[in-house]
Amino acid sequence: MLEATRTLPFDIKDYLRLDTMPHFMCPGCGHGIALRALLAAVHDCGIDKDRLAVVCGIGCSGRVGGYIDANTFHTTHGRPLAFATGLKLARPDLTVVVVTGDGDCLAIGGNHLIHAARRNLDITCLMLNNEVYGMTGGQASPTTAATRLTSTTPSGAIEPVFDACALAAAAGAGFVGREVTRQAPALKTLIARALRHPGFAFVEVMSDCTEIYGRKNDLGEAPEMILSQKADMRPEARRDAPDQPFRPNALPTGVFVERDLPEYGERWRAHAAALRGETER
Amino acid sequence: MTARLTALHGNHACALAAVAAGCRFFAGYPITPSSEIAEHMSHALPRAGGVFVQMEDEIASIAAVIGASLGGMRAMTATSGPGFSLMQENIGYAAMTEVPCVVIDVMRGGPSTGMPTRPAQGDVMQARFGSHGDRPVVALAPASVQEIYTETIRAFDLAERLRTPVTVLYDQVIAQLLESVAIPPPEAVKVAARKWANGAGGFQPYAADDDGVPAMARPGDGHRVHTTGLTHAESGFPTQSPAVADRMMRRLLGKIDLHLAGIEKTETLATEDAEVLVVAYGITARAARRAVTELRRDGVKAGLFRPVTVWPFPERALLRAAETARAVLVPEMNAGQLVLEVQRVIGRAPPVRPLGRIDGEPMTPGEIAAAVRELARHA
Amino acid sequence: MRPLPNDDFAPAPRCVETGLNILVVGVGGQGVLMISKALALLAQRRGFEVKQSEVHGMAKRGGIVFSHVRFAPKVWSPTIAKGEADVLIALEWAEGLRWLDHLRPGRGVFIADTRRIVPPFACRSRKPGAPSAYARETPAEIVGRHADGCALDATEIATALGDARTANTVLLGRLSAWLDYPVGDWHAVVEAIAPKGTAEINRRAFDAGRAWTPPRTDIGDPGTADATVASPPLAALPDLHISVAIDPAWCKGCAICVKLCPERCLAMDGPIAVVATPSACTGCRVCEWLCPDFAVTVRNEGVPA
Repeated sequence: MLEATRTLPFDIKDYLRLDTMPHFMCPGCGHGIALRALLAAVHDCGIDKDRLAVVCGIGCSGRVGGYIDANTFHTTHGRPLAFATGLKLARPDLTVVVVTGDGDCLAIGGNHLIHAARRNLDITCLMLNNEVYGMTGGQASPTTAATRLTSTTPSGAIEPVFDACALAAAAGAGFVGREVTRQAPALKTLIARALRHPGFAFVEVMSDCTEIYGRKNDLGEAPEMILSQKADMRPEARRDAPDQPFRPNALPTGVFVERDLPEYGERWRAHAAALRGETER
Repeated sequence: MTARLTALHGNHACALAAVAAGCRFFAGYPITPSSEIAEHMSHALPRAGGVFVQMEDEIASIAAVIGASLGGMRAMTATSGPGFSLMQENIGYAAMTEVPCVVIDVMRGGPSTGMPTRPAQGDVMQARFGSHGDRPVVALAPASVQEIYTETIRAFDLAERLRTPVTVLYDQVIAQLLESVAIPPPEAVKVAARKWANGAGGFQPYAADDDGVPAMARPGDGHRVHTTGLTHAESGFPTQSPAVADRMMRRLLGKIDLHLAGIEKTETLATEDAEVLVVAYGITARAARRAVTELRRDGVKAGLFRPVTVWPFPERALLRAAETARAVLVPEMNAGQLVLEVQRVIGRAPPVRPLGRIDGEPMTPGEIAAAVRELARHA
Repeated sequence: MRPLPNDDFAPAPRCVETGLNILVVGVGGQGVLMISKALALLAQRRGFEVKQSEVHGMAKRGGIVFSHVRFAPKVWSPTIAKGEADVLIALEWAEGLRWLDHLRPGRGVFIADTRRIVPPFACRSRKPGAPSAYARETPAEIVGRHADGCALDATEIATALGDARTANTVLLGRLSAWLDYPVGDWHAVVEAIAPKGTAEINRRAFDAGRAWTPPRTDIGDPGTADATVASPPLAALPDLHISVAIDPAWCKGCAICVKLCPERCLAMDGPIAVVATPSACTGCRVCEWLCPDFAVTVRNEGVPA
C-alpha cells in the first residue's frame, strides 16, 4: 500500500484544511515544521489522504491533526495510541499516524507507549518533544532538562528526563528514530522510513517551544532556538566519532532501531484464520 | 426457527449476545467479576471474524473500543467498578464525539478495591454522573441471565441508533449465575444499522437529521472529517461561540428525549392498587418480586416497579406506577443511590424510603417484606 | 625554463638507470593510487628499490589525493622534496598547478589532464551560473613555460573509449612515452593492476595515451582549446524559474526564514517577513522547510520540495 512513490511535486496546500489556516501555534513553534515534514513524507510515500488517519492526544501536539486534510481524531490526553490501536485493528487498510507530545506520550500516556511498542501494531507514532506542557502554560514535562525553568519548576527542574527513543526501543518497537526540526528534510526522510516500516514506528521530533519555554529560559528568539538545535545534536552516523566536535551530552539523531518483527495485526489475522479453520473442521 | 434453550452463566450470555448483536471488536482488561466476558470474547471473536485485544488497562480498553467503532466496527468492553472509574473520561469522549459503543459494568462491592467477589449496585450514579460534564446517558440494568442476553443486544441497538455509549449494569450475582436462557434465532436479533454518511460533498459531520442523530463518516469514504472531544460545531471543528456551543450541547443531550420511547423499558407487578411501591432493579428486583408476591398473599397491598432502563430514568412510568402509593421503598445494594432519583421524581409525597445493604450480600425477600410491612403500618 | 619545442610531443624516451621521483596528484576517486601502484610495480620488476607514500584522507569528499613514488637502486626518503620531482602527473588541472613547485626546475616533466573538477567552496555565490574562484591558469600558460610535458583532455579520451574512469590509464600511457621501457612491460603492469574485467579497456586507454598527439592546429600550444578563455565556461544551467514568496496572511513573524536564509534575501517588515531581494534567492528552500506557518513558498524545479 505504501510502495507507491509520488512523482508530482509536493504542495503542502494539497494536504491542509485551508479553511483552518493559519494555524493556532505560536510564532516560531516547531510543531508547524514537524507537520510540514510529516505531510511531505506522506506525499513521498504516496499515501491516499482518504486512507490516512491521524490520531492525536491533547496539548499543542494534539492540535496538529486538525489542520491535516485527512481522517483526523483529536482524542483524550495521553490515549491516542490506545485509540489508534482500536482503529488500526478494525481498519488495517488505513495508514494510522499518531501525533503526540512529550507530556501526552511519556507522562500520562507512557503506559500506552510501551505497550504499543511491545504489541508492534503497524502505527507510526510521531512524538513532538518540546520539553514542556505548552498548552497549559509551560509546566515541566518528563523531558524538561535539569535546571530549566518552567511554571512548576520556578527554581529549575531537578527531575531526570526520559530518553523516549531508548524507552521505545527497549519496549520492543521495530523502528525508532529521532530528528530535530532544524533538519526538516532529514526529518521528512526519517518519517517516510517510519511510515514504510511495517510495524510500530516511533519518531521523536525535537521541537521548539519558543513563546513559553524559550522565553522563560532565555533561549533566544525562534531563529536562535532553531539554530542552536544543530549544536545540540549528533547524527547517528557519527555515533562512533569521538565527542570532540560535539558538545557533551549531544543528542543522538537518526535511526536507532530498524528491525523486522512480526506485525501484530497480521499476526492476529493469521491466528484468527487458523482458529476459523479449526472450527470448520 | 425458534429459540434455543440453554443454560449459561450471566457473563457467558453477555458475550454470546454481543457476538449475536454483531459486535466484532472487544478490548478489555482483566477484572473480577467481569473477566469471563473477555475470556468468552477471546474465544468467540476470532472465530467470528472479529478482533479481541487485551489492552494495558481499562483506559486503553475503552479508547481502543472507541477507535474501532470510529473505524466502523461494532465494539464493546467489559469491566467492573474500579475499571469503570478509569473509563469515565473516554466514555465522555465517546458521548461527545457520538461514537456508538457498549460498556458492560459488572458491579462489585466498593469503594476502591472493595469486595471484588461480592455483589453490589454501587455504580448506578457513576453510570449517570461518572464522566465530567453533561452528556446523554443510557444505562440498562438486567435482572436475570436471560435479560443480560436481551439487554446486551438492546444496548448495541441503542448505541448504534443514538450514536452514544450505552452501559449495561449488572452485579456479581447474575454475572456468575447459571440460568437457562432462550437464545433467539439469528433472524430475530434486531440491531439498527449505523447511519453512515454517503459520499456527498459539503458534508457536516455533526449536522443532525430530524432524529437528532447525525450520520457518521466512515474513514476511507472520502469525507476526511475531524473528530474532537472539544465542544465542536456542525463542521466537527472546535468552537468557542456560546450560541454554537449551546445549540450543539442541546442537540447532543436532546437525542435522548427524541428517542425516549424506544429507550425506556420498565416492568411492573401489582402496582394498580399498591399502597407501598417497591422500586428495585437488577438482582434486588428479584428479591423484591418475591417479597411483593408474598406480601400480596398476606393481604399487604404492595407493588413492584422495576426500571430495566435505569438511565434515562423512566419518570412518567414511575409516576404512573406510584399513583396509588402511600409510601415508596427503594431497596438497593448501596447506601442509597437510585433512591435519590426516585425522591426527585416523586417529590414530597408519598414518602420515599431507602433500604440499603452494603455488606456484600444480596438483598433478601424477607428484609424487603419487613420494610414494606413497616411502611404499610405507618402509611 | 626552456620553451617546449614544437616537435616534443613524441619525446625521445629517457633512459632510466639511476631512478626517478614521480609525483601523482588528483582528487578523490580519480585513480591516483592506481597509477602510482602501476609505477611502483614496474620499477620493482626492473630491479629498483621502490618507496611510495600517499595521502588520501579527504578523498571521499572530493578532497585531494597525492602519491609520491620514488624508485632507484637505493631509496632513503619516502617523499619527494620540493624541486626534486622528475615527473608530475596531475589527474586534475588545479591539483597539478598546486604541485608545480615540486618539479625539478627546468628538467621536470608535467603531464596533466585538463579536466576541471570545481570544488563547492570555489563558488563564492550560490547563484546558479555564478563564477567560481577556480584556478585561472590555462594549459598554454603552464606547459612548456614552466615545465616540459603536455596537457591533454584524458577524461575526454577515456570517455570516447567507453569508460571515463580510465582517464588515469590514459595519462599513464602518456607518461610511458617519456620513459625508455618496453611497451610489453607497461602492458603487463597495467593488466596486473587493472580492476577485474577492465584489463582490455585499460590497455586501450594506455595505448591511446601513449600514442596521443595534439591536434595539428594546436601544435606548440597544447591545450589551446581550453586556453582561449580565462575562466572555464560552465555548462549552461537550465532556466530554473526560481522564486520565493511569503503569504502575509499566514506569516506570524517568527523571523526564522529571515535569519536562516543563507543569502539574506528575506527581511522583517514590521510584524511579518517579506522578500527583500528576490534576485538573491537560490531556491534552496531552507525558508520553506523551516517556516512553521507554511507562509513561504519557493518555486525551484531543481530542488525538490
